Amino acid sequence: MIEVKNLSKHYRLTEKSPGLSGAFKSLFAPKRVTKKAVDDIGFQIESGEMVGYIGANGAGKSTTIKMLCGILTPTTGEILVDGIVPYKERNRNAKNIGAVFGQRSQLFWDIAVRESYDLLKHIYDIPEDEYRKTLQMFTEVLELEPLLGTPVRQLSLGQKMRCELAAAFLHNPGIVYLDEPTIGLDVAVKSRIRQFIKEMNRMRGTTVILTTHDMQDIEEICSRIIIIDAGKVLYDGSLQSIKDRYGDKRVIHFELELEEEFQLPPDLAGKAEWTPGETGTVSVAFSNHVITAADVISEMLRKYRIRDLTISDSKIETIVQDIYCRGI
Amino acid sequence: MRRYARLYWQYFKTRIKVMMEYRIDFLIGVASVFFTQGTSILFIAIVFQHIDTIHGWTFQQMLFIYAIAMLGRSLEHTFFDNLWTLGWQYIRPGNFDRVLIRPVNPLFQVVAERVQQDGIGSFIIGLIVLFTSAPSLGLEWGAAEILMLIVMVISSGAIYMAVNLFFATLSFWMVDSLPVMYAVQQTSDFARYPMNIFGKGIRFVLTFIIPYGFTAFYPAAWFLEDSGYRHTAVWTPVVAFLSVAIAYLFWKRGLRSFTGTGS
Amino acid sequence: MRKYWEMMKSQIKLDTAYTAWYWAGSASVIFRMLIIYAFWHAVFENRTTVGDMSLQAMITYTMLATLLNNYMSGVGSQLANQVRDGSVAIELMRPYNLLDKLVALDLGSKISGTIRETLPMLLIAYLFLGVSAPASWEAVPMFLLSALLGILIGTQLDLIIGIMAFWLDYVWGLRVLGGAITLFFTGALVPITLFPEWLRVLSGFMPFQSMVFVPVSIYTGQLSGLVALQALGVQLAWLVGIIVVMRTVWSFAIRKVTIFGG
Repeated sequence: MIEVKNLSKHYRLTEKSPGLSGAFKSLFAPKRVTKKAVDDIGFQIESGEMVGYIGANGAGKSTTIKMLCGILTPTTGEILVDGIVPYKERNRNAKNIGAVFGQRSQLFWDIAVRESYDLLKHIYDIPEDEYRKTLQMFTEVLELEPLLGTPVRQLSLGQKMRCELAAAFLHNPGIVYLDEPTIGLDVAVKSRIRQFIKEMNRMRGTTVILTTHDMQDIEEICSRIIIIDAGKVLYDGSLQSIKDRYGDKRVIHFELELEEEFQLPPDLAGKAEWTPGETGTVSVAFSNHVITAADVISEMLRKYRIRDLTISDSKIETIVQDIYCRGI
Repeated sequence: MRRYARLYWQYFKTRIKVMMEYRIDFLIGVASVFFTQGTSILFIAIVFQHIDTIHGWTFQQMLFIYAIAMLGRSLEHTFFDNLWTLGWQYIRPGNFDRVLIRPVNPLFQVVAERVQQDGIGSFIIGLIVLFTSAPSLGLEWGAAEILMLIVMVISSGAIYMAVNLFFATLSFWMVDSLPVMYAVQQTSDFARYPMNIFGKGIRFVLTFIIPYGFTAFYPAAWFLEDSGYRHTAVWTPVVAFLSVAIAYLFWKRGLRSFTGTGS
Repeated sequence: MRKYWEMMKSQIKLDTAYTAWYWAGSASVIFRMLIIYAFWHAVFENRTTVGDMSLQAMITYTMLATLLNNYMSGVGSQLANQVRDGSVAIELMRPYNLLDKLVALDLGSKISGTIRETLPMLLIAYLFLGVSAPASWEAVPMFLLSALLGILIGTQLDLIIGIMAFWLDYVWGLRVLGGAITLFFTGALVPITLFPEWLRVLSGFMPFQSMVFVPVSIYTGQLSGLVALQALGVQLAWLVGIIVVMRTVWSFAIRKVTIFGG
């Protein structure tokens, strides 16, 4: 479905030196810097896959998505989306894709949502009966009924995103790119949106590429993740295997009544590490292959009075943070 | 082509619905343009109360030039007004990406997403001025003349549009070319006066560089027997065609640069 | 007072940052002056006076009127934008008077505009376009005072239009409408003395001629002596009247925000 080989995108930026003399210098001899937003990446995505494309801000996610959409021409490398080179045949590619770009609206700002959909019907040449059926289904699943008559500018963020999502899937595209579809939304809306995406994938076999900072999104939707950092692919594989590889880590946060300096109980030495948190709190990290959580707690209880404790498990969030910081 | 006509109709219907929601705004908008054009007519009328001709041009002839300018401008204003917002509403906030992921010509989308009702104001006053001045030009108004008038007005509108498109395209490189568009548009006021009252330099610029001369004075001159500019006037449709072609090619070039560097 | 002074300065800095708009504005003023120059030269082709004015008087009048007319718009659009996007509510909570702040910003703009735009243009007009010097020495202070009064009237009217945003969605249209009406009735296009009788009488009942026609006519000497002083008095009266209207409309608008939440 999607094939990406040796893809790079470089930007040429003019570096501005500070001050008046700097302004003069850059006027006559501009200092050009090349920024490698995407640096020689490659991957393959099969039809019907749901892939999380994640990375820190500025890692090159949006640049990649834009190239896949045909909005941006790569510096070098190849992209093939369903047999089409997107930047060469943007129009043909566009028929087969849908997109939600974070907080930028795909709908028309000052007209009612229903009118927007009507226009999209004509833009994508959706047959009338199919359009009606799809819209009816979306209305039910996303609970759009009360929103359809409202202009986009009067919708709340969550309402807007539901409408956006429907707009992206309306013409039954083979691929949908979702750039942070849940940003800034409350838990209920988030879960409804995730349900909808999964539903679409199940019913229509839509390929979904999702970028997000919310690891819950990834965990619930994606079976595969691609982690990108500084324009390079750090990891590409199943969600399960990354969990298996790094997922034995546990961290327990203790809130203690400390009378003196904290010291790791002697039985835990060599099996766990600790880091101080806010006053009176301590985080103890360990691998559950070496020692069980129950043992760690009982050792701690023997030496200290514990006011409270929380166990963080192998959430993808912790793992990804770990990878961002230390690399694979 | 058929598809685009149908699509435009869909956009148009939607815009009209929005317009009907803001009836007071609609009235104010139409009135504002009506008065803007009306006072410029009043200005000419007052001057002609004190004199008979300006450089050999009569009041009726001046009005006729104005009428062509207003009608041409009203076409551009009504249907292509959105070009003004290309920089600050599409490119700068990133909304142009939305346009690019749809399977429809991007320029068509930008143009179709807005119908500026205010243009009706200058269309109405243009017609009034046309009907008051046209009978006194000493011209037999047959089918050929009327056809020619329509061609000239459409050409005039096309040139206004082409110039705007050309300078709006600069937004692809400089984020927002609105100030440039604004300054260029100011020169269109020159074209409402007989060109031969200006010096050579201005005449050259308005004929060959920014062809605003062909939005009012030259096309009007075709209908004025003794203008001495009838030979230039017949070029109006050609100039219109060339302007639109050049502006569109430039737009394509800008679009390519935009997808190359991505803002 | 101190904080408004700082606001004014910040506006001057802001203005100097928008170089593209500066050049666009300057270019358009030059274009307009060129059109005026060519137009009136064509009008005066076979005659020495129009109405009672010579070509030189006419050029002087229309050039100055065009430059002065640039001062007639102000911060109204800024206010209207703030009303539209709702930020006016936050502005109203801040520890200053919003109207005074707007006036300070406006003053800043106009000071930087005078230095960066008007003075260079005036120089060009003197050197190349045949604008003549003031009619007399005593006309200079009177012109400056009168111009100041005119500008203040224009600014207040502009603010009133801006305040209309509390009730109307589309203030842009109203501004264009107001711009068209004032451009004509201020006498910025053509001196009011050339108006037909009925229009002249009508203009006499409106504040607009105090904005451009009066100051420029004092400069050219068409208004002088006692008549000029009288005109200054009328200007002052209009200014006071319009300020009262503006503040009244403002208090209604504020009430609307605080009661209905904008």
